[in-house]
Amino acid sequence: MSEIAAAQAFLLRTQNSDGGWGYVVGHASNVEATAVAALALTCLAGEPAAARRGVAWLQAAQRADGGWGLTADDAESGWQTAWALLALVRCRGDEAVVQRGVAQLLAAQPMHFDRSEDVRWVKAVLGINPNLRGWPWLPGQVAWVEPTALTLLALAPWAAAPEVSPRLAEGVGYLQDRRCNGGGWNVGNPVMFSRPLPPRAVPTAWVLLALAAVAPQAIQDDDVRVLRSEMLADGGASALAWGLLALAALDQEERVAADRLRAGQAADGGWDTSPYHTAAALLALAGGWP
Amino acid sequence: MSDPGPRRISRRALLRLLLLGGIGGGLAAAEWITRPAGLARYLTWAGRGAVTRLAARPAAVVLARCPSYHDDVLACLTEAWAQADMPDVRGKRVLVKPNLIDFIEGYPVTTAAPVVTAVVDLLAEAGASEIAVGDGPGFRRDALPVAQACGLAAALAERKVPFVDLNYDDPRPVTAADGWFFRTRTLWLPRHVREADLIVSVPKLKTHHWAGVSLSLKNLFGIVPGARYGWPKNLLHINGITPSILGLYQTVRPVVAVVDGIVGMEGDGPLFGAGVPHGLLAVGADPVAVDVACAGLVGFGLAEVHHLAVAAWAGVGRAAAIELRGAPADALRRRYERPPAA
Repeated sequence: MSEIAAAQAFLLRTQNSDGGWGYVVGHASNVEATAVAALALTCLAGEPAAARRGVAWLQAAQRADGGWGLTADDAESGWQTAWALLALVRCRGDEAVVQRGVAQLLAAQPMHFDRSEDVRWVKAVLGINPNLRGWPWLPGQVAWVEPTALTLLALAPWAAAPEVSPRLAEGVGYLQDRRCNGGGWNVGNPVMFSRPLPPRAVPTAWVLLALAAVAPQAIQDDDVRVLRSEMLADGGASALAWGLLALAALDQEERVAADRLRAGQAADGGWDTSPYHTAAALLALAGGWP
Repeated sequence: MSDPGPRRISRRALLRLLLLGGIGGGLAAAEWITRPAGLARYLTWAGRGAVTRLAARPAAVVLARCPSYHDDVLACLTEAWAQADMPDVRGKRVLVKPNLIDFIEGYPVTTAAPVVTAVVDLLAEAGASEIAVGDGPGFRRDALPVAQACGLAAALAERKVPFVDLNYDDPRPVTAADGWFFRTRTLWLPRHVREADLIVSVPKLKTHHWAGVSLSLKNLFGIVPGARYGWPKNLLHINGITPSILGLYQTVRPVVAVVDGIVGMEGDGPLFGAGVPHGLLAVGADPVAVDVACAGLVGFGLAEVHHLAVAAWAGVGRAAAIELRGAPADALRRRYERPPAA
């Protein structure tokens, strides 16, 4: 059995009876893992039935405000809304469900700093502009790099829409403000007490995927160089898989990383007993970001 | 009927009104001053703190001298554990929680693998029924690559002890205890935290630019699942570092502490401080007492570590009554360089 077929079989075997997937085999279904698994299975076109059950689980998990939380019974919509949209758009989910999700993302506002002394303090200590609008992990919190990147990626199909375009531009500005010295991204703190903080692979990969979709001119060579080195330094399945997906979106490859990712596949066909890691690895090894 | 004329209020009634108004205004002012906790919660904490300071028997904190990771860490730990009034772990499910926030070459950021494995071996010898080791890094890496980079993953694999990424460990909501989380009554926590009978917090002894020191209580930030709250776990900063530390501890008790101060970190912690060859292991069943003792050893008084000062005030743990045992404290004192401040 090929590595791709083995990974597909792993995903089919580990789908929960409710149609979703957990981060780890045997765990409750959650939005992020289900979205990535549904994306992987749909894009490979091998198992549309399983992907459809995943899509049905996602649609049923939508909250009344149009967003998604971690799980179907989470009482709060969060960054998982972007993941649900990424999957539903590519897996041909219900258009009304998608539109409610888009509206929820556009309505989401990060915390705003009203007092000028707070803004000055943040700029002095963290070296960032706290009032550039990205997206928070959870409502009412400050914006961070990864939810901003994922939301840009999710909203990319509507980039030309007049109600979407300005928010996307702000989001790109936010990401540029949070770029680490020397390129790449971490959670969103490029500096702390004048000390540059290092970039990390997964946030850098998600930002590059987002910028490739909505503002490729904002990508710098250093960002790509940093991604290559960080994904290898990290060495985990998640860093390697998302790194490869970002490079593929830029028409680049990294053979050492791909080989290391392949080497991490377990005998059961999966990575780290995780449907989430396995789905990301499957996408990375089987053709790139859809 | 005759016109009663304008109603007049008696002097006594006026005094009563003024008294009631004063009490009401005072209560409103007290409620405002004690926000976001509120007066009732504030008085509960203050009263408990007073009782604890007066009546609590001392908490044992055992200091052990362990010069390097090449020494017999397990022997040092076993001797300290035996003196520390630790709970019986026979038949219990135990989660060992090291600090694996990130691996940065050249900086002693993480709890050293020999200390974590010594804890695991001790628990196995003492009859724990299930042992798992886990953390949920706050600086956006998966836990497993960090554990691999610092040598912990291989050591645990040799022992067939599972390693868990707490950021992704099937989070579910539980009731947050003691009122320290002001905007929510529930906290999502990982499965291995929810199901543990005992958590052994095994921090690296280091300075921290927000918390002053990072020890067994601050180490609990790593049990908060990033999959629910994101990175770097912004909920904890918005709620406030001190109430979040105390709220986590109160919610997930019982927690005991084993502090890796064999090589500590001073200065620009928690990531870029300098290593301090210190030769210290500290063990205790009361993590508040252990942290107060360790902070004192490295030159931080209670006034400098806000969460420890508030713990002492609110009767969370036994900060004011500590019985040091084991190696002489004076031989283990090192004044750590302070972290940068805003």
